[in-house]
Amino acid sequence: MKRHIFGLAMLTLAASAGGASAQTMSFADAGALIAAQCGASIERFCAREDVGTGKVASCLQQNQKDVPQQCFAALQQAEAGTTARLAAQQATFGLCQDDARQFCKGVKPGDANLLDCLLASYKVVKGACRQGLTNAGWAN
Amino acid sequence: MTAFTRRAVGLALAAGLVLGTSFGFVDRASAQSPMSSAEITKQLSEVTQFDPSLTAQVLQGMAQRAVAANQPLPLDQSEIAKRLAKLAQIDVQIQFALNSAVIRPQSYAALGSIADAMHHPILWNYRFLVVGNTDTTGNRAANLALSQKRAEAIKEALVNLGKVDPARLDAVGLGQEALELPNKPTDPINRRVEIFTIGTVTAMPKPLQ
Repeated sequence: MKRHIFGLAMLTLAASAGGASAQTMSFADAGALIAAQCGASIERFCAREDVGTGKVASCLQQNQKDVPQQCFAALQQAEAGTTARLAAQQATFGLCQDDARQFCKGVKPGDANLLDCLLASYKVVKGACRQGLTNAGWAN
Repeated sequence: MTAFTRRAVGLALAAGLVLGTSFGFVDRASAQSPMSSAEITKQLSEVTQFDPSLTAQVLQGMAQRAVAANQPLPLDQSEIAKRLAKLAQIDVQIQFALNSAVIRPQSYAALGSIADAMHHPILWNYRFLVVGNTDTTGNRAANLALSQKRAEAIKEALVNLGKVDPARLDAVGLGQEALELPNKPTDPINRRVEIFTIGTVTAMPKPLQ
């Protein structure tokens, strides 16, 4: 439930920021970006830190003077992009609610059935729904 | 669990997430191309059956008993491997630092692909088991301990970085007790992380009215 509330908050933020252009990023792309921009520094300064603990990020901060600025930019970009991606994923089915009622009546939710139906109706669903599917990383 | 039939759609829609890199898949080296989140999603959703009695704890107990008894490794699939083989699964090569559970940056994208797959609606309602495996190089008990740490490190990264709900993930290390190639026990192919789909989080929701 918390995620829904969070998603709603993010949606409001995205809408107030001017909508369509939410730069969302997949976790795979975020991982590749961080590896490319920070990989060498991580191997050099933080090779003993488990990335999942968050200590790699603080280790990079501690070695700030020797870590390229692009690395910190990449970390920020990855964080912002994946946060926006998750928010978009949480918001999408809300944005597509009317379209789902119209085009997907009787579809049993779960197992991505609803998503498959919305994508099959991609050309006729409302713009907000379409944008939501794109921002969620599910439409292309 | 019969609804996973239209995966062509899922594949097409997730194709945008495909990575053009070879990060993360090292030991199987050139023979295996990297797995995209679309492929991961597809394979983990190919559920034919669950085995509710097969939990991380049960598996860990089986592996610990085998190590304690120092039973010879079977020449065909071990009992553990046979039970796991029935579940939907993926096999990934995550690169760790030597004798450590530290995931190397080369594998961040591979981890990200797994997180992306777990956030896809087709997998939203499922739980997974992360299993770490070694080959037979080195000490059997140490291999068991290291593989447990590595499986936990992957779970931790998926939760803290990939934002996957921890309630959806279990982690267990099986050391060398579930070899992929029992007749080639030192082959690096045996060093792998497997992810199995082990059940649902909640009952599936009702149809739209």
